[in-house]
Amino acid sequence: MSVTSLPTAAVAASRPKGRRRRRRDLVGLLYVLPAMALVLVFFIVPIGMTAWMSLHNWPLLGLPRFIGLRNYERLWSDAGFWASLRFTLVYTGVATVAIFAVAFPLALLVEKPRPLASLLRTAFFLPVVVGFATAALLWVWLLNTDSGLFSPALQALGITPQRINILGTFDTAFAAIVAMVVWKVAGFTMILLMTGLQGIPADIVEAARIDHAGPLQRFRFITLPLMRRTLGLALILCITGSMLAFDQFYIMVAGGPGNQTLTAVYWIFNQSFVSFRLGYGAALSIVLLAILLVLSLGQLWLLRDREDAR
Amino acid sequence: MHSLKSLLVAATALAGLVLPTLALPASAETLTIWSRSGQGDTLEAVAKAYDDTHADKVSIVTLPVDEFVQKYATAIAAGTAPDAVSLDLIHTPAFAQAGQLEDLTDWAKSLPYFEALSPAHLSVGTYHGRIYGLPLTTETSVLAWNKDLFARAGLDPEKGPKTWAEWKADAAKVTALGGDSRGFYFSGACGGCFIFTFTPLIWASGGDILADEGAKATLDTPQLRGAVDFYRSLVAGGMVPASARTDTGPDFLSIVGGRIGLQSIGASQIGVLINKYPNVHFGVTLIPGPDGGTSSFVGGNNIVVTKGAKSVKAVEAFMAYVYSLEGQRLMVSHGSLPARSDIAAEAMKGQDPRYDVAVAAIKVGRTPYSPVFNDIINSPNGPWAQMVNAAIFGSDPAAAIKDGQARMQDIIDAAR
Repeated sequence: MSVTSLPTAAVAASRPKGRRRRRRDLVGLLYVLPAMALVLVFFIVPIGMTAWMSLHNWPLLGLPRFIGLRNYERLWSDAGFWASLRFTLVYTGVATVAIFAVAFPLALLVEKPRPLASLLRTAFFLPVVVGFATAALLWVWLLNTDSGLFSPALQALGITPQRINILGTFDTAFAAIVAMVVWKVAGFTMILLMTGLQGIPADIVEAARIDHAGPLQRFRFITLPLMRRTLGLALILCITGSMLAFDQFYIMVAGGPGNQTLTAVYWIFNQSFVSFRLGYGAALSIVLLAILLVLSLGQLWLLRDREDAR
Repeated sequence: MHSLKSLLVAATALAGLVLPTLALPASAETLTIWSRSGQGDTLEAVAKAYDDTHADKVSIVTLPVDEFVQKYATAIAAGTAPDAVSLDLIHTPAFAQAGQLEDLTDWAKSLPYFEALSPAHLSVGTYHGRIYGLPLTTETSVLAWNKDLFARAGLDPEKGPKTWAEWKADAAKVTALGGDSRGFYFSGACGGCFIFTFTPLIWASGGDILADEGAKATLDTPQLRGAVDFYRSLVAGGMVPASARTDTGPDFLSIVGGRIGLQSIGASQIGVLINKYPNVHFGVTLIPGPDGGTSSFVGGNNIVVTKGAKSVKAVEAFMAYVYSLEGQRLMVSHGSLPARSDIAAEAMKGQDPRYDVAVAAIKVGRTPYSPVFNDIINSPNGPWAQMVNAAIFGSDPAAAIKDGQARMQDIIDAAR
């Protein structure tokens, strides 16, 4: 009797508790519903439509025609796309290294409260609040051969015999664009890294100092490992942003000189809105999305918390 | 499904808030006409005069020239295109081929002055025998020179070059003035600028860049190589500012700075120079060939009516005013050449004599025909812009021309 009554009692007792939990789950669901709706409308549906379009010959004008995977087959032998992707990867590598090389020292500089620290912080962060297109236009003027800043300055300082067109050759144009991007973006990465630095408990650093760890050793064995998550976030944002670069190349050099600075997104834009092949552009976008996904997963895996893994 | 639809409606409404000028449909009494930037104030002036004398209103919406074709095409796809568009005449075949324009043949043929309308506009406005575009504004490319610089360089300030040799000699003398003075300017990374100012050199030499109604690219010709060599010699002689190489169009009208000796400009810019830069004293002449001979690019805009437009009658009424003597006079005084040859002389009466050169250019001028014009010519990354830039500024012009020829033919073939 007592043996059979026990489970019944347990079930009876758990029933209102389960109902309460279910109600709590429902309320939670209700709270995240607006966010889910946003994700659905502005992310899931557009991606679904892009994927659907990529299966069509979809001209900007006229009627779409279903062609299955033919866009993806064509993409395989599209030398222009792969060349643009190669350039995008090179640019991403160079830009990421350059941004971190500038942002990390800046973060170390402004991390601790010291005289002028907040002034410097503001100064380094200012370019971030300028739009990318605006910044690019500003630099177009700075880089103008005749009425800009750099070319006349180089000539006046005697570094170049006459005014050179900085955007006229690939090497100088590429360097100028990377410089612009570093100027524009490093402040943001600096702020991210700074919060990471400030999150390191002072007593750990203190303990290391007592153990006679030099500044370099402290940086290598204390600072870097404790900043892994911050570094991961900064790196993913930086790499994703660079892989999707378009504005600066469109505005500053229009993909030139000699189409050598066409990025992947620029190629997709040209296919979609210059050649009016929306379906093909959609297929390229899906491939780029997949590549970005792989890159981000790779970074997350590299920067995972080893302790968690064990 | 229903909630998805209402969400889509909400999203569209949101887009409408952000882009009011693009998404608002034209109301019954106001006819909205899209126009590209860089075309002076001709249309605005005519629209204003029309508003003052008619019950209907015309509103001109100007869009950036570089994105014009994309914007119109996406607006058509989204169903938000305006009833009428002042379309770069060169793009009429593309939109007609896509079946996005109203057939205007019957109305056009009913106009008593139909035979007098600009043949260049009608040639690209006609697709498979039907008329989809009629002349709105007209312009030609001519060669302008700075009279003050010519005088200072010891040249006759009233005489422009008649051959390439004279052109080069004049440019060299102006460059020799020193300082920031340069003999010649062109936007070296701008396909649209090149087709307007550079192809006349090829035409005046007896060549062409397209054949068989745009089905065949003919870039690799002695005439094009000759014109490229001529520009190369000007660049090599230091007669062209270094900035020209990367100018995608914003600095097209560099002659206004007063430091450029010679530059090819458009007829509409004659008015800009006269009105806005009175200190720049300039003359204009027809763009010459190597040993005499002349040519010009006859450009401008066609009026086209978007397929399914509601107010076709309003467009017809407005165009009747544009084609009237009063309308033509007004257009001319705001920088467009007359669209009607029968009343051209009367409409031009009292105008600056330099416009006569631009009108004369219509007779020797041409307009290329291609349904993929944006793709092969205007795109900064297209074969034409790339080829001319590489051929003029690069180290291997022959290879650049061969490459451009192949790429252009590929795009033409792929679109068929």
